[in-house]
Amino acid sequence: MSDVLLDARAVSKRYGGVVALKSIDVVQRRGETLGMIGPNGSGKTTFVNVISGHTRPNAGVITFDGVSLAGSKPFQIAKAGLTRTYQAVRVFGELTVRENVATALVDARAPLPPDAVEEIADWLRISHRYDMRAGALTLMEQRQLELLMRLVQRPKLMMLDEPVGGLSSTEVRTMIALLSELKSRCTIFVIEHTMKVIRELADKVVVLMAGEKLAEGPPSEILADQRVIDHYLGSADA
Amino acid sequence: MMQNKTGVWPRNLFGSAVPLVAFTAVAGALPLVLSGNRYLAFVAGMTMIHMLWACGMNLLYGYTGLMPLMFAGIAGISAYTVVDLTAAGWSFWLALPVGTLAASMAGTILGLPSLRLKGFYFTLCSLVIQTVMTLAFVYFSGLTNGDTGISQIPLPSAGHGKPLSGLAYDLVLAAAAVLGVIALIITVHSSLGRRLIAIREDDELAGALGINVTGYKMIAFFIGSLFAGIGGALYAPYIGFISPRSFDVLISMNIWLMVAFGGRGTIWGPVIGVALLAPLSYLLQEYYTIKDVLYGLLIIAVIVLMPAGIAGGFGRAPRLLSPRINLPTPRRSPK
Repeated sequence: MSDVLLDARAVSKRYGGVVALKSIDVVQRRGETLGMIGPNGSGKTTFVNVISGHTRPNAGVITFDGVSLAGSKPFQIAKAGLTRTYQAVRVFGELTVRENVATALVDARAPLPPDAVEEIADWLRISHRYDMRAGALTLMEQRQLELLMRLVQRPKLMMLDEPVGGLSSTEVRTMIALLSELKSRCTIFVIEHTMKVIRELADKVVVLMAGEKLAEGPPSEILADQRVIDHYLGSADA
Repeated sequence: MMQNKTGVWPRNLFGSAVPLVAFTAVAGALPLVLSGNRYLAFVAGMTMIHMLWACGMNLLYGYTGLMPLMFAGIAGISAYTVVDLTAAGWSFWLALPVGTLAASMAGTILGLPSLRLKGFYFTLCSLVIQTVMTLAFVYFSGLTNGDTGISQIPLPSAGHGKPLSGLAYDLVLAAAAVLGVIALIITVHSSLGRRLIAIREDDELAGALGINVTGYKMIAFFIGSLFAGIGGALYAPYIGFISPRSFDVLISMNIWLMVAFGGRGTIWGPVIGVALLAPLSYLLQEYYTIKDVLYGLLIIAVIVLMPAGIAGGFGRAPRLLSPRINLPTPRRSPK
């Protein structure tokens, strides 16, 4: 079995005349946490959309766990073990937490047995909300439910699109702790604006800038890179 | 305990048992009780056919989130197929599954636009499909006898060359309605129902969780059209006369109204909706003009006052539209 889990080569995406992704190469190894940063509109979410099959790329070859994803639909990619979350939290708001989890189990790649589901629900501190309508949960709880719904499918790679977006600083700390424990359960790809998350979680960082890859490397190097500071970090956040 | 946590179905299945027994008892008793009054027994029989139709409409509209206004047209395909086949010498009991299958295949194909169009846009599209089907029923007069319709449709045989008696036909319809409700309960409580509800709630998220949205929408149309087809096949010989008007858009909307009035996405709401509304249109037959006005008013009243139907209660906004709390960004509008 190869060490490389996700291998995206020369991935390009245009929307009319706008180039959202320009020949991006990303390689992620099994067990390696990859962080993707970049200013708004730099193509981070587009990249996740392309990988997860929600958007078709104009060019490029994407290989996941040794299998090409060309032409695969989102549900097929999910079944192959590549799962994702959304920037705006997305759960079945009208269904209870229990029903949300049951829905995640029906077409899971490798559904967890009930006791293991319960163990993860306890770990995510969401078990006590099982009979509540998911739409009535707090944002933090909805994010925890999102993680639970992915984990019960036993994915090989989980792509998180801004997992701490909209959370309070206390909640951000809790989420970072959860995500660092999550690393032992599956490989993580994370888009974030909050540098704290990237600094504490990522083994490797890819910086996108107007659809192009500006830099790539370990967080310590990237966060000190003058180009990254000029283009991105210098602006607001850091 | 652990089973209890993830095993969401057994409790719900058990919850359906008491009303199911009651419904079966009422449906089975009605033909016997009303056997002295042929007209009332007929109204009860028609109500049972509408039960079947409402189950199919509920599966599509209530559980999958698609509002197919060509539902009556699909039933019509089955009715015409069965009538033509029996006229050609087939036994009704052989023509029934063939006609039903024809309706199901047609329904699956006609449901294809739902793969691209969501919510209201699919409904508009289905309205156009229904209109074209009605025109087709008029146009292919070799098969349908056009606007004149087909009358004196023979009753199904009861064996030994004898036709089914009125009471026996009523009991067949009651059995079909009960089996239809049972089939719906089993369907929505299965993992298929789980997937359909997920598609209704958020089809993109459903896909991201590994659910084949395209495939399951087509399966929903196939099963929903089975209900339409069986109902259509049973309808034609029962009433003895079919014409394009028997399966036009008003009939589709009537069926939709019964489901919406009762409470879509619940098992027993639409059953109550049918029990209240289906007899009404026959009992008001003499006041034909008022009937249509009454239906129009009911549609408006349901939308304004009871968006969640009887099962949802008066004045309560449907849960689908309830305000969401603690969300930093608005989500896409509910379907």
